[in-house]
Amino acid sequence: MISVKRFNYEPAEHEAEKASNSYLMSLIAIIAGLPLPIINLIATLIFYLSNRKGTFFVRWHCMQALLSQFSFLPINSYGFWWTMSIIFGPESVSNNFFSYIIAILIFNILESIATIYTAIKTRKGIHVEWWFYGSLTHFICKP
Amino acid sequence: MKKIFFQASLIIALFLVTWFALSKVDWIAIFYIEQVSKTMEEKLGDLFEDFFIKSGKEIQHKEVTLPLDSILSKICVSNGIDQSQVKLHIIESDEINAFALPNKHLILYSGLISASENEAELSGVISHELAHMEMNHVMKKLIKEVGLTVLISITTGNSGSEIIKETIKLLSSSAYDRNLEKEADIKAVEYLIKSNIDPEPFANFLNKVADSESQVEKHLSWINTHPASKERAEYIIEHGSGKPKKIQPILTKETWDRLKENMKEM
Repeated sequence: MISVKRFNYEPAEHEAEKASNSYLMSLIAIIAGLPLPIINLIATLIFYLSNRKGTFFVRWHCMQALLSQFSFLPINSYGFWWTMSIIFGPESVSNNFFSYIIAILIFNILESIATIYTAIKTRKGIHVEWWFYGSLTHFICKP
Repeated sequence: MKKIFFQASLIIALFLVTWFALSKVDWIAIFYIEQVSKTMEEKLGDLFEDFFIKSGKEIQHKEVTLPLDSILSKICVSNGIDQSQVKLHIIESDEINAFALPNKHLILYSGLISASENEAELSGVISHELAHMEMNHVMKKLIKEVGLTVLISITTGNSGSEIIKETIKLLSSSAYDRNLEKEADIKAVEYLIKSNIDPEPFANFLNKVADSESQVEKHLSWINTHPASKERAEYIIEHGSGKPKKIQPILTKETWDRLKENMKEM
């Protein structure tokens, strides 16, 4: 699911730091974004926009972090509003609800592990590509 | 591009399969949710019974309780409802009111019995409250309007008597939300039909009290707190179109008249 690959060029120290920060940003935002999943996305988006004129290595990793947050937004939001409708609305808890919440927890935990791993590797200047997100980032982000 | 679509589809499929596989597990049983909510409902029911029913004027006169038990029994038996779970309480009050408390306590005010012209009207109201109980509307309303934290604090004895009073007031003098009321009305019609009781008098009862709302508004709690009575009467008639083939009275005319007489004397 995660593979270490050779990048087009050897990133400099300052690039590695910024690229690594893009992952950390999405991770830190999870704490603030727990009640509202859109906060993670906004935080990562702001970081991406502030680095959109950065070097290719930085942009590439900001984009990979942003895309991963994008895909988690709908599933996390659905879980959030489902929970709200149970607390404040007429819905009641069901096996379906619990299985959905556990499924998104599993996926979020896996994503967090991948994010921490990638942040550490990227900080060392090692290029890490995620399955699907890597291909999509290559498609969107050009040198 | 094809590779990206293929990978995206695979991720979505992986998520859906995970969700589906997890949904095969009975999480409700694992987390003891039913047990916990049942225990909480029982505790709330007991507390409200102590606080409200025992402090009020409960009528225990056999000539009043027996006919009402017969009506309740007929509706329960015809609809597969476990009657032993339903605790009927008749309270002496001028208010035209009936409501359900947690743990299937059904409260009927004597004012409501006096205002009913026949047993079918009264059966309609009883069926409506039974429907709220059977569809778990009581706990849903409490959780929604009072909140789980407050309910837990009530059951653990960490809240004052004022909160308990306010919670009882909420159940006795405010309606459920519109959808739940409609659901209960439609279910009540079903109960009536299965019990061979004509649902039309229930609709007429709503129409009748709706017409007199302005004059005796302060005594019509059950009507005032529910959605527009005329509108309700309309959909009760609409859903009651499949009337029971054979209408069978539950009480004899003499028993009903005696019940009404007893109500007047109280």
